[in-house]
Amino acid sequence: MEISKLPQEQQDLLKSLKKAIVAIDEDTAKKVAQDIVGNDIDPKIAIKYAIAGGAIAVGDKFDTGEYFLPHLVMAGDLMDEVGKILEKNIPAGQLEKKRLVVIGAVQGDMHSVGKNLVSTMLRSGGFEVHDMGVDVSSMAFIDRAKELNADMIALSSLLTTTMPYLKEVVEDLKAMGIRENFKIMIGGGPVTRDYAEEIGADGYGKDAIEAVDEAKKIFS
Amino acid sequence: MRIPFNEILLRTKQGPIIEEKTFDLSLFKKTQELQKRYDIKYNPENPVDISGELADRVYRAGVELFLDIGAYCTNTRRAVKVTERELLAEIDACPDAVELGQGDDRVKMVHRDVEGNQEAIVVAGIQTAPFSDEEMMYKIYKGCAMDRCIEGIWGGILLKIDGKYDVIAGAPSEIYQYRKTVEIMRRAINDAGRPGMITINNAPSSAATIAMFDEEAGLRKSDYMESTGMSELKVAYDDLNRSAYALAHGVSIHGTHSSTIGGFSANPEGATITAVAGSLQLITIHKAESFRCGTVDSRIKSRLSRNQLWAAGTAIQALNRNTRLIVDGSIGDHPGAGPGTKQYLYESAAGHIISTVMGGHSTEGTRKFVVGNTPNYGTPLESRWMGEVCKAAVGVDRKTADRIVKYLLSKYEDKLKDAPDGDTFEKLYDMETLEPLPHYQQLYGEVKAEFENQGLKFRG
Repeated sequence: MEISKLPQEQQDLLKSLKKAIVAIDEDTAKKVAQDIVGNDIDPKIAIKYAIAGGAIAVGDKFDTGEYFLPHLVMAGDLMDEVGKILEKNIPAGQLEKKRLVVIGAVQGDMHSVGKNLVSTMLRSGGFEVHDMGVDVSSMAFIDRAKELNADMIALSSLLTTTMPYLKEVVEDLKAMGIRENFKIMIGGGPVTRDYAEEIGADGYGKDAIEAVDEAKKIFS
Repeated sequence: MRIPFNEILLRTKQGPIIEEKTFDLSLFKKTQELQKRYDIKYNPENPVDISGELADRVYRAGVELFLDIGAYCTNTRRAVKVTERELLAEIDACPDAVELGQGDDRVKMVHRDVEGNQEAIVVAGIQTAPFSDEEMMYKIYKGCAMDRCIEGIWGGILLKIDGKYDVIAGAPSEIYQYRKTVEIMRRAINDAGRPGMITINNAPSSAATIAMFDEEAGLRKSDYMESTGMSELKVAYDDLNRSAYALAHGVSIHGTHSSTIGGFSANPEGATITAVAGSLQLITIHKAESFRCGTVDSRIKSRLSRNQLWAAGTAIQALNRNTRLIVDGSIGDHPGAGPGTKQYLYESAAGHIISTVMGGHSTEGTRKFVVGNTPNYGTPLESRWMGEVCKAAVGVDRKTADRIVKYLLSKYEDKLKDAPDGDTFEKLYDMETLEPLPHYQQLYGEVKAEFENQGLKFRG
């Protein structure tokens, strides 16, 4: 995001906020966010530059091995907190609605690490994420997606014997006549893009970074 | 004295309630603190800790981590903790030997010392991989069972029941299908002339795992029951169901836990500390008599990257230098490369050499890291390789292991992210004679000769 047309003082504040978010420096980030609000900087610009830009920088650090899952979690928490401070001055009707993703590992699957990575990266990538954990039944996914009016259901399967549940969610949605209400993205060790196409999913992520790109592509 | 299992169950109901994310982040913060305080540093130049001094510090850090945060019960959202006194008594009361198998195939799996000469027990087989049909499964199991360099075989899964119905975890089909796999394993070991050989399989659900136990046609008391600790430092009742069954029926419990580089352990230093703590979880909470102490890297589809070799190897060494526990290493179980490639053999050997030299057994089978839905993605020859390498590495010192492993890493580590897929059983074996096809036999011989040139002495 281009901020060079803003006064130097405002540019400095935005750069400081982004830097603090990327460094996961909670105290500095919150203080600078308050200063940004106090200086009447357009909060939408601040969110786009410092939070969305910060999320990309954090993702890059994860990609290069400098950051790990806990850093993503802590950075995500910090971005939420900073976002709340910045959003205070945005009228309710003008708040940009985030796409909501219901995510979890399918029934019988207790593997959480990959799913947690995708969940955290989606959050950092600007999605609102509702993580249902592991061993989640197909109907529980559907019920929660309906209840929250979610945009997407993201499903993880690490076992050959839990993969049929990926198909089951798609088929159950079809049987209930609500398949078009939700996008479906799948992933996990044995899952492939071919399999995603075979069962009629909308997207596939081979890893956390690709999953975020895929989710963005689905809604573009 | 060991903490009674029912006391552990009580603690899953009475321990402090904690949000899962808070527990995960406390694991991260504590491992970061411990690695600084105990001066635990990963140096990629040294994939093997030769002196053992670092491993001793890792052991103390692992004990402190487990005592500080305990294990997280995902059913009750409570932390299960033990006192230092209880932990030391538990370690002291754990057996230093268990007997597995029956008759002429019975073996004693004992605590192994670092660089020790105690026999390394090997349970190979194409672990948890899918098979196309019962006949193919039988052929591959039988081929594995005929190799005298291994003491047991791991089972896999059939993709379809009667060639038609999907096998689904948590559904009744899972119970039916897993039971069928162990019946086929028993037929295969009988026909291979090794009826008392160890057979192991572990289903996604405890119901299907328990249903496999049957003295006549399934798993026996002389095999072990696997009880898994979830990554990282977590336990679910479904895992403890397996422990409960095993304790009630006199089956030895084998625990498994993997710390995660890239997960909440973060770096390799964190992962080696958590691997020790996870092992302590397995003996205290799951009531394991032997256990697999492992590490995975969430960003690499192989268990044999340099950082994983270091983290898992150091943790195994830490446990074997400081306790008399029975440690399973199995680091080489899941290479990134597929069967029929030299890379598979290099990766597998690197892990199994470190496991064995650090005092580990290797009872977790072998297969390509990602097999997906591809059936018959493994052959008896990889199983034999696992056995041959583990047995050859008994008595090898850490300095030699370090040299060989560095040589192996130079062969494959830059190819891990784009590892060759290899081939399935049908393309690597003669389906009539059930012998490896000449090109695979030749490749195997070439690699074996290469290892002999590196100083590894094979038994046969």
